Amino acid sequence: MAVTAVEVVYRGIFQKSLSRNICRTIVLAARKEGKIGTAFGRYGDSPERNGIPAKYFAIVADDPTELEETLAAYEPKEVAVTIVVDDTLCKGVESWAWYGLQPINELTVEGGTVLVTSIQPEEDLVKDMHVKDVPYNLSIIKGAKSFSGLWVYKDDHTDVRILGALAKVCPNLVGLEAYVDTIAEQSDDELKAHSARRAYDRVSVSPVEPGQGNPEEPFSFDKPGWTKMGEAIVIPGIEVGGGFRGGEGGYQPVRNDVFKKFSTRTMRPVINFETCTKCTLCWLQCPDSCFDVTPEGLYDSDMESCCGCGVCEDVCPVPDCVTMVNEEVFDDNSSQHDHWKRDRDGYMKWLDEMIVVAKSEKEVGAGRSHGFREWGEYQKQIEMTGVAGDD
Amino acid sequence: MTTEVKDTALEREELISGAEAIAIACALADVDVITAYPIRPYDTVMQFVSKLIADGELKCEYIVAESEHSQFEIVKHASAVGARVFSGSSGVGWFYAFEALAVTCGLRLPVVAMVGNRALDDPGAFGCEHNDALAVRDLGWMLRWVDTAQEAMDAAFMAWRVAEDKRVFLPCAISTDGAFLTHSQQIVMIPDKRLVDEFLPPYDRGEFVLHPDNPITIAPQVNEDWLMEIRRQTDAAMRRARDVITEAHNDLKRIFNRGGDDPFIEEYMTDDADVVLVGMGTLALPLKVTVRRLREQGRKVGFVRIKWFRPFPQPELRAVLSRFKAVGIIDRDYSLGSPDNGGVLYNEVRSALYDGDKRVPIVGYIAGLGGREVTVPMTTEMFDYTQKVADTGIIEEPLRWIGVRD
Amino acid sequence: MTLTSTLPMIRGVHNSPLEEYFTSGHRTCQGCESALVMKLMVKASGPRTIVLGSTGCMYVANTTYYSTPWVVPWMHTQLGSAGSAAVGTAAGLKALMNKNKIKDEPINIISFCGDGGGADMGLSAISAALTHMAYNHLILMYDNESYANTDIQVSGSSPWGANSTFSPPGKLHRIMNQRWKKNMAPMLAVGHPGVKYIATACASYAVDFMNKIRKGLKYSGPAFIHSYDPCPKGWDYDPMYSHELGMLAVEAGIWVQYEIEEGKLVLNGPSRMIAQGRRQRKPVVEFLKRQGRFAHFVDEDVDYYQSRIDEMWEKWWLPGVIPLFNEAGEPKG
Repeated sequence: MAVTAVEVVYRGIFQKSLSRNICRTIVLAARKEGKIGTAFGRYGDSPERNGIPAKYFAIVADDPTELEETLAAYEPKEVAVTIVVDDTLCKGVESWAWYGLQPINELTVEGGTVLVTSIQPEEDLVKDMHVKDVPYNLSIIKGAKSFSGLWVYKDDHTDVRILGALAKVCPNLVGLEAYVDTIAEQSDDELKAHSARRAYDRVSVSPVEPGQGNPEEPFSFDKPGWTKMGEAIVIPGIEVGGGFRGGEGGYQPVRNDVFKKFSTRTMRPVINFETCTKCTLCWLQCPDSCFDVTPEGLYDSDMESCCGCGVCEDVCPVPDCVTMVNEEVFDDNSSQHDHWKRDRDGYMKWLDEMIVVAKSEKEVGAGRSHGFREWGEYQKQIEMTGVAGDD
Repeated sequence: MTTEVKDTALEREELISGAEAIAIACALADVDVITAYPIRPYDTVMQFVSKLIADGELKCEYIVAESEHSQFEIVKHASAVGARVFSGSSGVGWFYAFEALAVTCGLRLPVVAMVGNRALDDPGAFGCEHNDALAVRDLGWMLRWVDTAQEAMDAAFMAWRVAEDKRVFLPCAISTDGAFLTHSQQIVMIPDKRLVDEFLPPYDRGEFVLHPDNPITIAPQVNEDWLMEIRRQTDAAMRRARDVITEAHNDLKRIFNRGGDDPFIEEYMTDDADVVLVGMGTLALPLKVTVRRLREQGRKVGFVRIKWFRPFPQPELRAVLSRFKAVGIIDRDYSLGSPDNGGVLYNEVRSALYDGDKRVPIVGYIAGLGGREVTVPMTTEMFDYTQKVADTGIIEEPLRWIGVRD
Repeated sequence: MTLTSTLPMIRGVHNSPLEEYFTSGHRTCQGCESALVMKLMVKASGPRTIVLGSTGCMYVANTTYYSTPWVVPWMHTQLGSAGSAAVGTAAGLKALMNKNKIKDEPINIISFCGDGGGADMGLSAISAALTHMAYNHLILMYDNESYANTDIQVSGSSPWGANSTFSPPGKLHRIMNQRWKKNMAPMLAVGHPGVKYIATACASYAVDFMNKIRKGLKYSGPAFIHSYDPCPKGWDYDPMYSHELGMLAVEAGIWVQYEIEEGKLVLNGPSRMIAQGRRQRKPVVEFLKRQGRFAHFVDEDVDYYQSRIDEMWEKWWLPGVIPLFNEAGEPKG
C-alpha cells in the first residue's frame, strides 16, 4: 500500500503527550525512508478532558500526491494499525454524546493490527473487543499503561516501545532502523533505542478470526435532521428522577441517555455495603452524580455513568469500603448493590477478590497512575521499577 | 356625541423626531425590558424612553447598562424568559455589542433594536453611515431602513410583530439615519393603544420559554455533528419572514391606513421611467426632490427605496428594476475591496439581478459618508451619469464616489 | 419579582437534599471539582431555579448538544456575560410578574462564570449587576485558576508562577506568569456596598458550600460567591484528589473561606481557626508539590510563594481578606 494510516486511541490529557510523540516520530522516521506524512490529533476531541477517549493519527505516503488523496477525508476511514495505549479502551470508546460506543477495532482494516500495551492475557483482550466480520491481528506489548499529566511527562519508554513493535507489525509503514535513528536524534538516552529494539523482538502477534470477540451490539444513535430537531437550540431538560429502581424510597436520578461516559473509566469503585457507615460522602462528592441512593441509605454507583475518577475512594472514611479496581477485570456494568442483595456471601467473596486484585496491582506498580502526584514522582518510579516492560 | 368621538380618537398628531417616535412606540407596545447605554445619535431614543418612564407613561424594567455588550446580553436574556424587549445603538457601540448581536440570531430571540446609523471610528465621527447596521447582515438579523419619523414608529410595531411571530423568532433592527432622522422632528400620527393592540399580539415564547415550569436547556455546546442543521433552521426562519412581513404589512395598512403599496420597497415616479436610482433611508428626501425637478425638465427618472434589507427584496427588485434602461445604486456605506470596490447595496442588488430575465445595466454611487449631506446636485449628477449609461449602453465607471474632494 | 427563596440551612451532610438537578452525562474531566460545584449549587437551590451558564468548562464540557445534564432550566450566556445574563433574566421575570403576565413567585436565578469569564472579561458586567438592587440573583464564579476549557491558559485568577499553555516555563524564563491572583470577593464587596451577600467557598466543604448558595439566594438583590475549584487537568494531579487539594489550599492559608453578610465579615472553618491562632497554617509547599503546574518551582519560588501567603495573614488589615495598610505601612486597625 502506498499510503498507510495508523491511529493512536488514548486517554485524554493523561496520554496526550505520549500519543503525539508516537505519531510525530512515525512521520519523522518515514522521512528517513524518503516518504512523506502528517500527524494530527482529532480536532473534535479538543479541548481534551482527563480520561475521555481521544485519537491521534499518523499518515505516511510514498509521495505528496498520494498523501493529499488520503487527506481529502480529514479523519481516516480505515487504518492499518490501531494503537491502543490503555487496554481498557478495548471495550469501546464513546467520545461525545450521540457517538454511541465505537468498537476499538472499528477502523482497523482486514488483516490490520490492533496493537495494545497491556499486562492482560490475549484472550481477555479479545473478549473485550467487539467482533468484526473480517480477520485482523492482535499484538500485545507487555507493560502497564503509561499515564502522565498535562505538564510533566513520564518518560518511561512506552512511546519508543510502541514504535519498535509497530515496525514489526506494520513494516511497510516505517522500518525499525528508521525509528531507531529518529529516536536517537530526539534523545540522548541510548536506552530508548534499545527499548524499541526489544519491543520489536518481543511483541506478540496473533490472529483474531471473524466472529471472535464481544458479540454485543454496541449502542448507537441516529441523529435527527434539521426538520426534526427542536428549534431555537432548545432541548428538553432531564427529568428529576425518583425512588431507587423506580420504587418507593431512596433516590435515583434520571441520566443522560446519549452520553454515558463509562468508556472514560479505567478503574471502577467496588463497594463494601456491609462496612458502609452511610456517611454520604461518596454520593455527595461525586462530580458525576453516579450514586443511586438505596432505600436503606446505601450508595450504589451506576456503572453506565461512573467515569472512574476515584474521588469516592479518597473521601470514604472507612478502610476498603470503596476500592478502585482496574476496569479490565469487569465484564459488564451491572449493579453491585443488586448483586449484594441477591447473593450476599457471593458478593462479599467477590469483593475480597477485587480488593486483592487492587492491592496486588499496587504492589507491582501497575496500580493507579492518573497523572501527577508529587514533585519528582516519575523519576522515582522509573528509578524503582525501571522503564516500562524492562523485564 | 362629539365629545365621545374626541375621547376615543384613534390617533393623535405630534411633532416628534424618529427617535421619539420609536420611544412612544415602546410605550404603546407595552415593552417589558429596555436597556440603554449612551452613544450618539441613537441614544436620543433612550432619553425619550427614560422620560416616558419617569412620567409613568411607559412601564418597564429600564436598565442603564455598563456597555453595549451588556445592553444586548440583558435584553437577549429577558427575551428568553418571555419579555418584550427593546434596545439600540450606533456605530462602534453596535460593534461593541457584536458578540451579543450574533448569538441572538441562533437563539432565535425576537430582540428589537434601533440603530441610529453612524460612521465607524477611527476617527471618531457622529455622522450617518450604514456600515454599522449592515455588519450584521449575514447573521440572521432582519434589517429595516426607514425614511420618516412616521415610518420609524410604524416599523417598530412591525418589528415586534414579525420578530415575535413563532414562524420567525429572529431579531430585528430598525435603521434610522443618524441626525437626519434621529434628531429632526416631523409631524407624526400616533395611534391609540387599541389600534396597536389590534395589530400587535402579546409575545408568546411558547415551548421555548425559560422558566422553572418549562425546564429546558438552551444552547448547549455543539460539535460539527449538529451546527449545520441549526444554521439551516435559522435560514428557514429568515425565509419564512417574507410571508410574515407581508401579512403584517397588510394588517398595518388595514388598521393604521399607512405603509404604502409594497411591504419591501417603495417606488417613486417609476411608472414610465427610463432611469432610476435605488437607495435606503433618508436620502429618499433629496432624491424625490431631484426626481420631481428632472421630471419638470421632461426626463423620465424615478426612485426606488429599499425598506427591508433583510430579508432582501430579491423578487421585487428583479421584477421592478428590469423595467428600466439603467439603474444607479446609492450606498451610504462602503465595502472596501469588494467587486468594483462598490458598496454593500450595490453588490447585493447586482447579485439579486444576476439570474433575472433581463440584466439591466447597473452603476454604483458611494455618497453621504460620515454624515455628509446627499444634496440635489449630487443626486442630479448620479441621474446624469446613469442616463448616459442608459443612452450609450457603455459603463465606463461602474462605481463612482459622489461629493468627495479630490 | 420581589420575593426571594427562604431555603433552610442544611444541618450536616445527612440533611442534604437527595434530588439532583445537575445529573450524569456531562463531558467534564474525571474528578472535575467544578462539575461538583454545579451539582451542589442546584442541589442547594432546588427545582425553582434558572441557571445561566457563561462560556467555559462548565459550558463546553457540560452541555453537549443534543443532550444535557441539566434538570432545571438552563441557558448559555457569553463569556463576559454572567452579570448581564443574571440581570436580563431577573428583569424579564420581574417585568412579567409586575404586569401580571406570569405568576408572581420566587424564582432563584443563578448565573455562573469561570475565572476567565468573571475575573477577566466579565468583571465590568458583574460589577454593574451588583449595583442593580432591584434584581434578585446570585453570581457564582467557579475559579479553576485558568482558562481551563480552551486548554489551560493563564487568567487574572491564575496563581503566580503556574504553568499554563500561555505561561510555560522555558530556558530563559522559569516563571512566566508574574501576576498575583485577583482578590475578587473583597474587591466586589468593597466596591458594591449595597450587596447583602458575598462569600468565598470551596466544594470540598459541601455543606458549607450549599448553605452559602442558599444564603446568596435568600437576600434580596444581587449576591456573589467566589468558589475555589481544584482542576485535575490544569493543576495536573490525580483526579481522585480534587477534594483533598481544596482542603489543602484552605489549610495552607492560600484560599480563605469567609462570608460577608450584610456587611459583616465572618471567616469559616479552618480559615477562622487560622485567623484566631487556633490552627497552624500548613506550609504552602505541601500544596504546591502535589501539582504538575508548579513542578518547575525551585526553592526560591516556594519561599516567595510562602512569603506572600505569610504577608496576607500577618500584615493585611483584614488577614486573608483586605490588603490595606496605614501610612506607616502597618496593617490598618
